[in-house]
Parts: sequence; C-alpha cells; structure tokens
Amino acid sequence: MSEEQRMYPGIGRDERTTFAPYSAFDIPEDLRELHGQYDVAATAKRVRNFRYTHEWMTMMMGGWLATIPELPVKTGLGKLIWESAQAADELGKRLPELRAGRNPATASQASNQGYADLIQNIAGPESPDRTIEKLTGLCDVLMPHLIEVYEVTMRETDQICDAPTIELLDDATRKLRRHVAWGKDVLDRLCDTDGRRDRRVARTRDVTAALRACGGVTGDLPADAG
Amino acid sequence: MKRFIDHQELARDSRFVRQENTLSTVMSELPDDVDKVVEVFEAFDPMIEKATRGTSAEALYDEYGPSFALVAVNDPLKPTDSAVKTRLMMRMHGIFVGELQALEGAGRSLWDFPDAPWEFKMNMARQCWDEARHVQIFEKLLDHVGAKPGMYPESTFLFECACSDDPAMRVAGVNRGLEGLACDVFRDMIRYAEETDDEKMKQAIDYVLADELTHVRFGSEWVREFTKGDPEHYERAQDFRRQVDKQFSFGGSRSDREDAAIPIATEVRKEAGFTEEELSELSTLSADGPSRVTIKAAAKILRERHKARVAAREGAPA
Ligand SMILES: [Fe+2]
Ligand SMILES: [Fe+2]
Repeated sequence: MSEEQRMYPGIGRDERTTFAPYSAFDIPEDLRELHGQYDVAATAKRVRNFRYTHEWMTMMMGGWLATIPELPVKTGLGKLIWESAQAADELGKRLPELRAGRNPATASQASNQGYADLIQNIAGPESPDRTIEKLTGLCDVLMPHLIEVYEVTMRETDQICDAPTIELLDDATRKLRRHVAWGKDVLDRLCDTDGRRDRRVARTRDVTAALRACGGVTGDLPADAG
Repeated sequence: MKRFIDHQELARDSRFVRQENTLSTVMSELPDDVDKVVEVFEAFDPMIEKATRGTSAEALYDEYGPSFALVAVNDPLKPTDSAVKTRLMMRMHGIFVGELQALEGAGRSLWDFPDAPWEFKMNMARQCWDEARHVQIFEKLLDHVGAKPGMYPESTFLFECACSDDPAMRVAGVNRGLEGLACDVFRDMIRYAEETDDEKMKQAIDYVLADELTHVRFGSEWVREFTKGDPEHYERAQDFRRQVDKQFSFGGSRSDREDAAIPIATEVRKEAGFTEEELSELSTLSADGPSRVTIKAAAKILRERHKARVAAREGAPA
C-alpha cells in the first residue's frame, strides 16, 4: 500500500479517502427519476386487484379440469394453475410490504362488482363441449388484458421505490405470455371449422365488451380503450 | 360454474369407455366364498361384457368371461407369468385413469371450496400440476408397455369414493385414501420394474411416488386444519378415510396379506406421515375378502360356464 492511499475518511478536510467518485463516463448514469403514477396505497390497491384475478384464474382452471374432454388441454392447464397460484402468492406477499396488512380475506379484491361478475362470466362455461368458450375468455381476452395493464403499471410506477412490484409483475407477465401463446395454439387447433371460429369470435366480443364496461382489472380502464 | 360434480360428469374424449362403479363396490365387499363370488360375477356379467365391447378387453372377455376382471385385479404382477403383458397393460391403464381422476379431484378441490385458506389452494394448485405431469408420464409409460389411453374400460370409482362435499373428508379421501393407494401401487410397480431391469419405468415411477408422498402430507395437514377444535369432525373424516381405504382394498387385493396383488407400502406410508396406528388399522380392514385360492376356483367356474354359454349359443340352430 502506498503512503498516499487512504482507505477511510478522517475528521479533517484533508483526510478524505483517495477513491475517485464513479464517473458518468465510465458507468451509465442512473437516469431514473423519482415519483411514479401511484402512491403506496394506490399500488397496494392494484396489487389486491391483480391478486384477485390470479386467485380466481387458479380456481376456475381447477374447476374446469374435470369438464374438459381434450387430454392435452387437461394436462396443459395443470402448469397454468400452478403458475397462476404462484403469481397470486407473490402478489399477496407484497401487500404487507406496502403496509396493506396480512389479512388473507382482504388480500384479494375485485376493483368493482362488474369485474367480479366478469370473472364469474369467464369461469361460466361448464359443459364438455365448451372448451373453446372456456379458453377464449381466459387466454384470448383476460390474460392479454392483464399483460397490458401490468406493462403500463411497470412503466408508470416509481422505478426505484416500487421496484419489488415491478420485479414480480415482470415475472407474472413473462408467464402470462406463455399461457396466452399456449391458449392460442390450442384454440387455433380446436377452431377448425367456420362454426367453431365463429364461436371464438363471438366469445371474444362478449367478454371484451364486459371487460370494457367494468373498467378492467383495476376498474379505471376507459370504456373505449383497447 | 357449479360447485361439486358427479363422477359421471368427468369429461373424456371418444377413446374412452366407462365401466359401472357398482362392480368395484361389490368387489370391495366380497366374502371368502367361492359360490358367492361366482354368484356376484354372474349377476354382473352383462354389465362387464358391455363395458369391454370396443376395447382391448373384449378378447379377454371372450376368452375368460366376466372373471377376467377378477383375475386381472387380484393376481400379483410377476415377470414369469404368461399373461404378464396383458396384466401390466391393464394395471398401467388403471393407474393412468387413476391419475386423471386425481388431477380432476385436486382441481375440483380448488373450485369447490372457494373460502378455504390460501395455503390450501396453493397446495391443491401444486397438486394439479403434479397430477397433470403424472397423466403425461403414464401416457408415455402406457406407450412403453404397448398400451394406449382408452384401451380398457375406465371405472370412475376412485373419484366417486374420494370426492366428498366436506373439505376435511375430501382431503381425507383424496389425499390420504387415494394417494395412499397410489403409494402402494407405485411401490409395487417399482418392484416390478426392478425385477425386469426396466430403468425407464423405475425412475419415472420413483419420481411420481415422491410427488405422491407430498400429496399425502398435504392431506394429513389439512385434515387436522379443517377439523381443528372439532374432535367429532376429525373422527368423521377419519371414518370416511377408513371407508375409502376399505373400498380401495378391493377385497384384499391391496392388503398386508401374503397373497395380496398389491402389498401395503408400509415404509413409504410412514415416510408420508401415516401413523403406526393408522397403518395397523389399514392392515386389519384390508385383510378381509376372498383368498387367491377362492378367486382362482371362482374364476375357473365362471370361465367354464361362460364357455358353455358361448358353445350353446353357437351350436344352437338358427
Ligand atoms: Fe399422481
Ligand atoms: Fe397425487
């Protein structure tokens, strides 16, 4: 060690360390700015809304398994169920970090009654001849909507203060994209006649209309959006 | 979507044929009496015949009559047995549809009990993924032994018996009764795979068995949790599990008896959290039922009578 090198600052003005500050020329400067679109309470509300959706997606897919005759759809849904539950779980764990408590009864919350009704509408198709309606509502409409809202949330929330939410939404979005792609593959195969393609179109139209009417997962989507 | 569905509502594609569950129920209550076994199987003959038509069991029915089901379930799987290939395919198919019903049962537990604790839903969601993989694994193992989905009739007995409307009883039935049976069957399949040097089968089923142990643990935990502070409810759940265990013993086919087709996997079950007391209870309640000697004698009579009927039909003037 050379004599001039100083490892720790002293109390005198001349007793500074010899470490140079990082230069913006050497390391990219952190250009993120503080202040996002959502305060702590607003983020907590969104997280509760998102968790509500993942919890119900998990439950509805579980309920559907027994009434779906197509074997690869039955088995394919198994992984979607688990990943959806994991997303709900991660969102639930974020709530106490946002001072929103640990009460499991309030950890999931629909943005409004219209959205709660929409979720039941999506879960609704029951008989074995309605796999197209089941998957269209979920994979063609609801999941792409979630991806869109999660992306907006990740962009608009405070990039530093709310980074943990961004991380878990990023993970959920990545998996949702896979689920949407899987659903599309299955539906493309199932909809092999004009009649079946028409069913998919009709279901997309109906669920999309209901989604817009209630303002989507957070309840604040403009009615003419999307 | 409604809560609670009937076993008849389990959706299948056009490859599958159903078998009436009454036969399984009756088999679980058969006495050790040749005449009685013959009488029961003769009574079920038309139903058994109907379920085999259009499946690979048709040829077996033609050859053995209604007793083919009896022999298939009750004889141990031995590599030296001349009918081992058929027996193996039938057992593998039984496991495959059992996994399907376990998947459906776990899924329904998610939907049927919306107010259950979140941790319960997490466990059931995980089980859905596991059972979905098990279906995929046994679909491949079916192919591995030369069989196909839908090749034999499917009984929805497992789902019917295990899926109670009460959450404590549901987990007692599915996660301890059904999954416990799975532990016994898989331990026996691993034994068979070892005897035949079938590394692929052995490794795959060992992984499945590891998952099933976890599912039994889910069951043990949630039976306690759902009945916390209510010993009477706990006892009812235990009674339900005993009833399911009795039904899933198929008249001693799965038991501690020396002649059992599927021995109780005591060590595996201990690892999964069954108590000594529960295991000795299981050993007792599964021990009843016809012995192999009785079954063989009954099967012989049933086959002779079946042949005589066929000969009479064919010899009869048109
Ligand atoms: Fe399984
Ligand atoms: Fe299992």
